[in-house]
Amino acid sequence: MDIAFLIELTINGALTGLMYGLVALGIVLIYKSSGVPNLAQGAMVMIAAYLVWMVAGWLGAPVVVALLVAVLGMFLFGMLTERVLLRRMVGQPIIMVVMLTLGLESLLRGLGPGLLGAAPKSLDLGIDMMPIIVGDVFINREYLIGGAIGALMIGLALFFFRTRLGTKLLAVSDDHVSSWSVGISVERAVAVSWGLAGVAAVAAGVMWGSVQGVDWSLTTLLFPAVAVVILGGLDSIHGVLVAGLVVGILGSVVPGYVDPLVGGGTRDVVTSLIILLTILFRPHGIFGREEIERV
Amino acid sequence: METAANRVASLPVTPPLLELSNVEVVYDRVFLAIKGVSLRIGKGQMIALLGGNGAGKSTTLKAVSGLLAPERGLVTRGEIRFQGADMLALAPPARVASGLVHVLEGRRIFEHLTPEANLLAAYPLRGSRKRYQELRERVLTYFPRLGERARTKAGYLSGGEQQMLAIGRALMTEPELIMLDEPSLGLSPLLVQEIFAIIGEINREQGVGVLLVEQNAAAALEVVDHAYLLENGQVVMTGEAAVLRENPDVQEFYLGGAERVDYLNVKHYRRRKRWLA
Repeated sequence: MDIAFLIELTINGALTGLMYGLVALGIVLIYKSSGVPNLAQGAMVMIAAYLVWMVAGWLGAPVVVALLVAVLGMFLFGMLTERVLLRRMVGQPIIMVVMLTLGLESLLRGLGPGLLGAAPKSLDLGIDMMPIIVGDVFINREYLIGGAIGALMIGLALFFFRTRLGTKLLAVSDDHVSSWSVGISVERAVAVSWGLAGVAAVAAGVMWGSVQGVDWSLTTLLFPAVAVVILGGLDSIHGVLVAGLVVGILGSVVPGYVDPLVGGGTRDVVTSLIILLTILFRPHGIFGREEIERV
Repeated sequence: METAANRVASLPVTPPLLELSNVEVVYDRVFLAIKGVSLRIGKGQMIALLGGNGAGKSTTLKAVSGLLAPERGLVTRGEIRFQGADMLALAPPARVASGLVHVLEGRRIFEHLTPEANLLAAYPLRGSRKRYQELRERVLTYFPRLGERARTKAGYLSGGEQQMLAIGRALMTEPELIMLDEPSLGLSPLLVQEIFAIIGEINREQGVGVLLVEQNAAAALEVVDHAYLLENGQVVMTGEAAVLRENPDVQEFYLGGAERVDYLNVKHYRRRKRWLA
């Protein structure tokens, strides 16, 4: 067996996994502070990518400017989503909220390409296309940078939940009424978490947009991201890191060996199996919080 | 010449800390839970609101702190003024910022956070780090046990420790008035005594007004200055704690009765004499 091939699959898989983590991070940020599983995160990633493309590719502004515009724009987009849609859902059954985010996902998925044209747009960040070659192993530079950004964002999120604002968001996810009782504005906290999920969507949208072009297919990143949050635990940032690596590596190594035999498509099977097996055997995921029962 | 009446009239009129006048709360647009409750607490006073299940005690507190909305309750009549300001116009966080805090029934601490994070979550975003340390120190002096368990998830603390944490967390908002909803719930008599004693200390040393809601009237009347009896959503009696303790009706209904009458007669007696006709 070619060991270099295995190492290459593992490294590229790990980097891809960290980039899935970027998408998953947005879902966890929102779930951690309001208990809403946001199925529109894939579409938010797409919208963020379109935004960067519009400013950089269309208007010809430098990428840095485009990123700043997108970060600001998506933060506002997230806050607005909460204000216009989610706030009306307070007290409604969670299934209604899930359906709402799913509806938003479909709406955005149609709206983006509908307004800007369905052809994939290329997003050039100026990353060298030549892979880095270490011995016999080829490493894709885009994935390397994407993975590094993924790790960085996960680190930032971990730090954020240790700050005062982050602690308040955690408190809100624990108990809304209790948060109100000590003066925490639940509405504002939830809005902030949606805003931050918007910012995470920019990081994900830019890196994935650069890898595979900007079009509606970016929304399909929701699928591996959901696998990551289910395996890692819906409310765990650590989980995003660990499960991101697991989903990424399995999703790269298994197809690497099996795809040539069966003709492709193994990656989605692996991702689905991860979702199914986690829900069957460990419904809270690796790090997800369980209900506390005192003895 | 200055008369006694003149002197009284010339005293500056300070508004009471909290004043409820004729407050009426309706749940779900149909269920009238409290029917014209009026009460007042002076600055630094400690009073109790007593009554049985469903008397409207918790509803009264939620009307003050603004937490009726999640239960589809609404103040339909009356006025709630805190230090002269109209509370009904404010959202719950703004009410806390103005200096009143509500310790909910059943403690409701943030279970998945550490006690330390519970305290931090309640501290205002704009407050200074130095002030936070001071307040935290103060909470730990009143409740040293919280310091010993600062790193475990709060959900795993004992019932008494959770109640201490709930009170400590409320103190992080620097309240002028702290409203406690049944802090004795589910605690041993010894622990109730300890916690009530600490509440009394906080009241005396910090000048924080206390509104204590209790079913455990005997324990509450030991520590408060003044009490209101609530029944069926109405105030049926009010007075000095010492006076209420001696009142035979209060003893019969809330303190378990001084002497036991035989049960047939008790039933008859209860039926004949009600607080409300």
